[in-house]
Amino acid sequence: MQKAVKKMPASVNRRTAPMAVAVVALLGVTALLQKAIDPTARQIHMGEKNISQVSGGLNNEFMLLPLLGFREAAAGLLWVRCDEFFHSGDYDAILPLVRIITLLDPHAENVYVTGAWHLSYNFTDANERSDRRYIAPSEALLDEGIANNPEIPDIKFEKGWQNFDKIKNYTEAEKALQDCIAGPHHDETGVKGTDDYPFAAPLKTLHLLAHTYEKQARLPEALEEWQKALARTEKIMADDKAAGRQQNYANKQMWFAEKHNYAEDLQRYHNRYTTTGHDAINPSNPPLPGVLWPTGPGISPQPWDVALRPAIDVKRPKVLRVYGRFNTADGSRIDCRITDWFYKDRPLVDIKNSFQVNMAETILVDSCAVRKGKFDREMDMSKDPKMYSFSVPTYKIVLSYNPRTTSPHLTDRFGWSGEGMTDSDLTHVYLDNREPLLGTALIAGQGATGPIWDGVTVPWANHSQPVRMVKVTYKVSRKQIMGEAPITAKDIVPND
Amino acid sequence: MVPLAIARQTVREALRRRVMWIFLICGVFLIALGPVFGFLSPKDSQTVLRSLGLAAILLAGLFITIVTCIYLIPVEIERRTIYTILSKPVQRFEFVLGKFLGGFAVVFINIAAMGIVFLLMIRFQEGKVPADMYKGVFLTFFQMMLLAALTIFFSTFATPVLNFFMSFGIFIVGNLSSVTESLTTSRVKATQVAGTLIHYLLPNFGNFNIQNTLIHPTQEITNPDVFIRQNILYALIYSAVLLILAVIIFDRREV
Amino acid sequence: MAAAISIQGLTKKYVDVWQKQEVVAVNNLNLEVQEGEIFGFLGRNGAGKTTTIKMLLGLIFPTDGDATLLGKPMGDNEVKRELAYLPEETYFYDSMTGWDILDYYARLFKIPEPERSRRVQICLEKVRLQPDAWRRSIRGYSKGMRQRTGIAQALINDPKLLFLDEPTSGLDPIAHAELRDIVASLKDEGKTVFLSSHQLADVELICSRVAIIHRGKLLTEGKISDLVAGDYAEVVAQGKELNSVIGQLKEFAPGSEITGGDTLRVTLPDDEKINAVIDVVRGAKAKIISVVPHKRTLEDVFVETVRKEDGS
Repeated sequence: MQKAVKKMPASVNRRTAPMAVAVVALLGVTALLQKAIDPTARQIHMGEKNISQVSGGLNNEFMLLPLLGFREAAAGLLWVRCDEFFHSGDYDAILPLVRIITLLDPHAENVYVTGAWHLSYNFTDANERSDRRYIAPSEALLDEGIANNPEIPDIKFEKGWQNFDKIKNYTEAEKALQDCIAGPHHDETGVKGTDDYPFAAPLKTLHLLAHTYEKQARLPEALEEWQKALARTEKIMADDKAAGRQQNYANKQMWFAEKHNYAEDLQRYHNRYTTTGHDAINPSNPPLPGVLWPTGPGISPQPWDVALRPAIDVKRPKVLRVYGRFNTADGSRIDCRITDWFYKDRPLVDIKNSFQVNMAETILVDSCAVRKGKFDREMDMSKDPKMYSFSVPTYKIVLSYNPRTTSPHLTDRFGWSGEGMTDSDLTHVYLDNREPLLGTALIAGQGATGPIWDGVTVPWANHSQPVRMVKVTYKVSRKQIMGEAPITAKDIVPND
Repeated sequence: MVPLAIARQTVREALRRRVMWIFLICGVFLIALGPVFGFLSPKDSQTVLRSLGLAAILLAGLFITIVTCIYLIPVEIERRTIYTILSKPVQRFEFVLGKFLGGFAVVFINIAAMGIVFLLMIRFQEGKVPADMYKGVFLTFFQMMLLAALTIFFSTFATPVLNFFMSFGIFIVGNLSSVTESLTTSRVKATQVAGTLIHYLLPNFGNFNIQNTLIHPTQEITNPDVFIRQNILYALIYSAVLLILAVIIFDRREV
Repeated sequence: MAAAISIQGLTKKYVDVWQKQEVVAVNNLNLEVQEGEIFGFLGRNGAGKTTTIKMLLGLIFPTDGDATLLGKPMGDNEVKRELAYLPEETYFYDSMTGWDILDYYARLFKIPEPERSRRVQICLEKVRLQPDAWRRSIRGYSKGMRQRTGIAQALINDPKLLFLDEPTSGLDPIAHAELRDIVASLKDEGKTVFLSSHQLADVELICSRVAIIHRGKLLTEGKISDLVAGDYAEVVAQGKELNSVIGQLKEFAPGSEITGGDTLRVTLPDDEKINAVIDVVRGAKAKIISVVPHKRTLEDVFVETVRKEDGS
């Protein structure tokens, strides 16, 4: 290799210095520009740092693409692959992909929503009972999605829906749905306060929030949500009409449904929290302990004794027969939950790398239908050792009846907070006094201190009514689950 | 204008290179394939079409830019045509500028061609073209302009093969802007210094990847227009820096 | 007459990066080329001819020394308006037509239309490129056609000073002769031509002055007529009686000698006395084998000069 020895012409040397100065100055400008760009770029590239932490069993070559600015395309193609796995029933293969995709493209709201749904609903035992252990990572995934996409309503709605439908945690559902409605959202032109999906919460959010209030026995708030939903539907219909568009039949149906639900809630509120239409009260028969029951002229019945009298037999190892008497109408269901004694419902899970669940944990959630005052159900956990490993010494079996989560016609009988229900074995009566679970109080003059209702305007919420449940808790050993010792009434412990 | 004459000639030459057409055809083919992938995943067809299309433009644009620009100057030296040019009243900076403008025009033609196909696909699939889609194509173009300047800069002293790897390498590092940004606040002093230098001194290609906001219509960033203007300004100024450096080196280059 | 090129102490060195060995491509070159002359710059391959031209044109930079072209320092951008360079073995833009290439170079001189088209046409005509080839891609050109295009591009700005590097090498005889004539005709237009070549016959034909460069060093320079001075003639004869006339012959040519008993070789410094020698030889009844007037060529000068340098 040869190197030329050269004496540069003066003209060349003369212009080098100014050019070098220009380079330094301009680099300074670009550095400043970069500083100005960074905050916005951060919004776009959020989550990029994490990809390196996950391999998820993917080829390394595949990880190169995302580094070159093809993150979204890679995520999109992986998502197509997920779809294939889903249709071929290879559910386990989907989880690492969902993890990778959401890291590659932290704004793939569909992947968060579908992934969480997949986690919560699709892993089941031989009897189609969900694997509840996946609920914690599912919730964590939704939380991550919401944190990455505070302005996207879909993920928040999904969180609300899961808590409403699957987890039946109405407090969480309400928070998520309110968050969904609150935004922050604005449409593509930056206009805030829009009601248009996908830039704002879809109409169904209002519906689900109303149902969530109903489940929490907060009727006035439910009514208010139905009013808002009606106003929105009516506006859509009016806009259509004003624009000369043909009337949308679906909108009309929506309006009918909303109107119906609104009317029904109004009716229930009217029936349940006022004296109107009730039988006369028998003042000589005061409510049982723990029962907040409308008292006063014209208010009557005593709470109904549901008399939950359960028994549990172990037929074979991990096969339990839960049966007994429950004095309610047909269609009632006794919730049954078998867990490790120290099982935690919403543990903090780390989903940074995977959605792995603790295979040593056991949780079964089932329910027993009541027919003619009796229930009888066999719960076979022997076929799914991965889900029901029973690897700790002690277990908790909880049989319970919550009037709020039961079907509406039964809720109507006992009231949203179980005001009309009791158990002659008072140890079975369980009051959940947790603040968020307090339902609407009775109306003034009806045994409570709430506002007086004129029968037209819905009084604002006055939460003071705890939910009243019937509940039996067993503490059993692994031996008993395995059938080496019987489960008897002696195993019943006080409700916690 | 001498640089324009050189640029014009550069474009004519470059458009005759087969390899460029191969990449362009691949790019267009990938974009056209978007709906097919979309059908596989009906709920996300829009996401797939947009992400695949923008990625195809980026990928094809990347290769077209590099393979075009690495040869612009070396081929003139190899064919000795540079003797006939520089022995005419053509300043070396005019030659470098002309070559850059030519490469830039080739990149523009290619990105524009793919961009039009992409926007037509969007129009065909979604019934309208959201204004943001233009911005995506637009920013990719400026990203490629910066890459063209980088490649031209390297080509003033490096062989085409070496240049290919260097340009590609810097492009990758520059795309990791979010990673390098996080390094600037590292607690390890050495990492922090290195991260800061890389983040603020190397060309930051990651800035231009706004695909995410385009693919997800609900994903919003604050002041997108300011962001785009800042990025365009960044690309222009940084390209100028690279060209000045290229001139400083090329002024001393024996051809 | 003013000097078109004036070179003072031009030197170009290369360093072997690993061994620190110095290679001197051009060594302290001093040269003057007058306006209007065709100057032959001779040397073997790698002698430093092209290096010198590239330095003069600012394509590479000298280690030392200086030069002026048309009175301006070398590398000056403005003086390039008056210059032209035809590099050796240039592979022009293959896909372009002859016309387009010239048009491109004309644009570099900022020659506006319609003057540009006129210039292109004049140049193509001047180098006698067949008009039907003007609009054809250069890929299909023969070597001679390419070289014509190369000279045409050098003429596009009607330059005062042309540097031509091996313009005729590797051409067929006809093309060779035509191109040589084209170069020769430049002199008639008052142009100065700096012709680098080792086609010594051509140089001798068309150049007025030459310089010989070897291993970067200027060995000799001057008018061709001065360099080739020193013709001689040789008479060879055979006869048994030649011994008797040798003394007479030595009066004309002291170097006369008889070898092999009967072969005479007489070397004359010029041809004036050939007849007298022949008369003496015929008088001795000898048979004349050959009478060869030796013309000293540039080639002889070149070979002698270079060999002498290498020998020393």
